Amino acid sequence: MRLRPPAHRVSPRAIALWELEYLIAGLLLAGVAWGAAAWIEASQWPALPESVVDNIWWLPRLALSVAVFGVAAAPLWRYRVHRWEVSSDVVYTRTGWFHRHWLLVPVSRIQTVDAGQGWFERLLGLATLKVTTASHEGSSKVSGLRVEQAAGLAAELARRAHDLRDDAT
Amino acid sequence: MSAVVGATREVIGLLAAGATGLLVGGLTAGLYFTSLAVAVGLVHHLVTWVTFTYTLHADRIELRRAFIGRSVKNIPLERIRGVDVSTTLLHRLLGLAVVHIDAASGGGDRQDGTLNAVSLAEGVRLRHELLGGAVTLPEETVYARVRPRWYLYAPLSGAYLLTPFALAGSFLGTLYNVGDDLGLINKNRLAHLGDDVLGLPPLLGFLLAGLFALAMPVASVVVFAVVNWDFTLRAVGADGTLVARRGLLTRRTVTLERRRIRGVEVRANPFERLARVVRLGAVVTGLGDASHRGRLLPAAPSGVAWSVAARVLGGPGPALTPHPRSARSRRVLRAVAAPLAATGAAVLLGQLWLAWTCAALALLCVPLGYDRYRQLGHGADGVHVSVRSGTLSRRHAVVEHRAVVGWRLRQSVFQRRLGLATLVVAVGAGEGGYAAIDLAESDAIALAARITPAWVTPFLEHQPADDHAAVPG
Repeated sequence: MRLRPPAHRVSPRAIALWELEYLIAGLLLAGVAWGAAAWIEASQWPALPESVVDNIWWLPRLALSVAVFGVAAAPLWRYRVHRWEVSSDVVYTRTGWFHRHWLLVPVSRIQTVDAGQGWFERLLGLATLKVTTASHEGSSKVSGLRVEQAAGLAAELARRAHDLRDDAT
Repeated sequence: MSAVVGATREVIGLLAAGATGLLVGGLTAGLYFTSLAVAVGLVHHLVTWVTFTYTLHADRIELRRAFIGRSVKNIPLERIRGVDVSTTLLHRLLGLAVVHIDAASGGGDRQDGTLNAVSLAEGVRLRHELLGGAVTLPEETVYARVRPRWYLYAPLSGAYLLTPFALAGSFLGTLYNVGDDLGLINKNRLAHLGDDVLGLPPLLGFLLAGLFALAMPVASVVVFAVVNWDFTLRAVGADGTLVARRGLLTRRTVTLERRRIRGVEVRANPFERLARVVRLGAVVTGLGDASHRGRLLPAAPSGVAWSVAARVLGGPGPALTPHPRSARSRRVLRAVAAPLAATGAAVLLGQLWLAWTCAALALLCVPLGYDRYRQLGHGADGVHVSVRSGTLSRRHAVVEHRAVVGWRLRQSVFQRRLGLATLVVAVGAGEGGYAAIDLAESDAIALAARITPAWVTPFLEHQPADDHAAVPG
């Protein structure tokens, strides 16, 4: 028995969004690693064995390769994984890349729905849909939806959740 | 009456402070400050008491405070999820009780109210009124009552073993403060403290250490007995509301409405497992401090605990199915991964003794991994779903189907290669989710589909029609 993938992909512009996010995170990581390496080399910290201090410049190289891998692989991988579907009574999403998460949240158990936008999402005309239930494990988040789509979904789901809702716990 | 209790407590505290003040600052200053502080405290409590009123309406309770800031809090009766009546020693001497109202507001926020000191009879009456009212002469069934012998299980759980340290710590702290106040402590003394202690005969040190080792289990039993004295779990009234009562000095009553109870959780650590002892708790929606207040039984023999669980659940709960073999290597690998990585790093750095320690630790983690696998299990029947995991703190949760608010299926790249997945049962109660770790992927989906077919079956992959195309011929 297997779950089929949800019907819809997120907007292709999401790739650009994740590309930007991974680029910035990668640059930050590499910068911090570079700074730490420079500082350790200059201070010749006695607590660290010599072998570590001599090879410290591998640290920023490692960080840089992680960052390059993230920028090159993660956004496309995520685009292939991220999918969503709203049936008559269930919100079904698949997210993640290295770790995949399938999430089934019945509309009758939804407590709040909101569509939010970060800086980059605003630039690209995208939004994130957040569906919350009484349990944080049963709360899902789909990023990279088109703004009008996310807003429409949020309004629709909130209305239906209100109609169906009993106690939601 | 709240003024009396509050003020009495204040007076005792202030008298102690004042006595120290007397010793240090001489008679006049100490007396002056003490009486001033007592007067201010008394007036404060008196005004708080005079300005605090509560009114019980047909559909809500109104708590009105009019001291400095005015506030009116209305708690609708239908939102009230539990009412605790507790009494400290001082309260009991004065025939009073503290009533704590536990309620949830619409958005999931907490909305609590505390009535600091009402008469005990009024507290009991309030509890009945707030929780449904109509019950005049509730019939009671005693589900369980601790036997004195069970207090001896206290040393098995780690937390109570640490009590001597907490006691010694607070004693030393008090000693330091008093000594400081009396001017006995100065820099010179502190600097030579180490020498003084080391200068003591080693025999004394051994004696002290031995005394402490002896005190740990004894003190843990004493503290456990004081906290859980005469722990009694009753079902009251027609709907079987659960009432847990416990404590020697502070007698505590926790009321759990039956319709808020979604299941039970049975916990045990390895020592408790060896002695066949478990702790039983209820999975309750919207209960703050659930680990203490949802407690249905403290350390008790597992047979008793499970029979109480069966009465609370209305059935024995589903039997557990072990997880596939491939989950075992994964548990073992994950248990030894961290110490092995540390060993590798230590070898690279040339720290040989550290490498040996880490390697030994990795070896010790192998049986831990095996046990982790052995404890994994899941199961479902017509009403409940059951999930068990963990070694150092084994958790076995049994929750009702209707408590499920969603499903999360998790799969890492490594799990995918082994055909495994982790299914998290999202529950709007207790800890929010219970994970069935490393099931076969198809079993995980089948489990979810069995419990909530309407949510899962529309998303199942259709068996490919050309399934037999692979048959040679």
